[in-house]
Amino acid sequence: MTDKQRVGISEFRVARAPAILVSYGLGSCLGIVLYDPRLQLGGLAHTLLPGDRPGGRELRPAKHVEGAIRLMVGELLAAGSELQNLTAKLAGGANMFEAQNPAAEDRIGSRNINAGRQVLERLGIPVIAEDVGGHHGRTIELDLATGLLRVRSLRIGELCI
Amino acid sequence: MTLPPLSETQLDALKEISNIGMGHAATALSQMIGETVYLRVPRITIADITEMPDLVGGPEEVVVGITLRIFGDARGTILLIFPRESAQQMLVRLIGHKPRGLVFNEMSASALKELGNILASAYLSALGNLLHMTLIPSIPLLAYDMAGAVLDNVLIELSQVGDLALMVETEFHDQSPSEDVIRGHFMILPDPGTLDVILEAARGGHDG
Repeated sequence: MTDKQRVGISEFRVARAPAILVSYGLGSCLGIVLYDPRLQLGGLAHTLLPGDRPGGRELRPAKHVEGAIRLMVGELLAAGSELQNLTAKLAGGANMFEAQNPAAEDRIGSRNINAGRQVLERLGIPVIAEDVGGHHGRTIELDLATGLLRVRSLRIGELCI
Repeated sequence: MTLPPLSETQLDALKEISNIGMGHAATALSQMIGETVYLRVPRITIADITEMPDLVGGPEEVVVGITLRIFGDARGTILLIFPRESAQQMLVRLIGHKPRGLVFNEMSASALKELGNILASAYLSALGNLLHMTLIPSIPLLAYDMAGAVLDNVLIELSQVGDLALMVETEFHDQSPSEDVIRGHFMILPDPGTLDVILEAARGGHDG
């Protein structure tokens, strides 16, 4: 039996092959994958928001793109990975409701995508694949044996990035 | 924002308010489709937003979501979630046939949005009367996809300020016992402060 581990909203998880990390039903949420092919070690985060909530101390740092990436990198390095070996993939950041917030760049999905790209660039982690935006939900599965990310959706079907 | 400890009494009061609201909605819906519809509120939950996808049947369950913003004296979001089969049955009543395949056409999307509009307006008007507030719904928006994806958009908005949502589960019945029950989830996602206001009014309502 495959070891499938679910990553819920505002969570992240780090694991090694042969584990598979899954996040179900991402809409505007952003799924962030970090992977070290040498160690077959990687992480998956299911983030809701681009940045910190103004003012408040955050109880769930992995709710935010930046917090989730930093925590995940920390765990991967602690597990023996090196920053220069990490690659990233992004999936999600859709706009689910038609006609909502007409200005594309203001939509939360787009803001999540941009936040993800920026934080990863600052850390020097290359984004090697993306399936982002659009108007459909996605379920994503990271196979830690290969680093491949399987993206399933209702309308578009299945693809592998 | 921490989870307020809700007493049985407060939950009962919330359920009562929601039953009244749904009663109004049932009347409006009955007039719209020309047959008597009963709406019941079997369950009311205050849940952490991260648990919401599981409460509506799991994040991959295919659903129709209709969302409206609440404006006026209190702010918040309303989200109606219908499982696919329930949405299709609702369309049979509303427009006489159910859509084939995955995609809802303009006619069925419009009918479902109108349904959302009626339910939300009736609920808000009852809630507003009880709380002595003016509550106005925005135009409805529709999405049809995996529950997790339909929900997270709304949860994101909510999570910028809080971690809680008030979920009113609603069942629709008509008179014929052979018909399957149409199920829906009616969620009120109050902006900060609004949940407190509702609970305060619920408490007051019980004492009076």
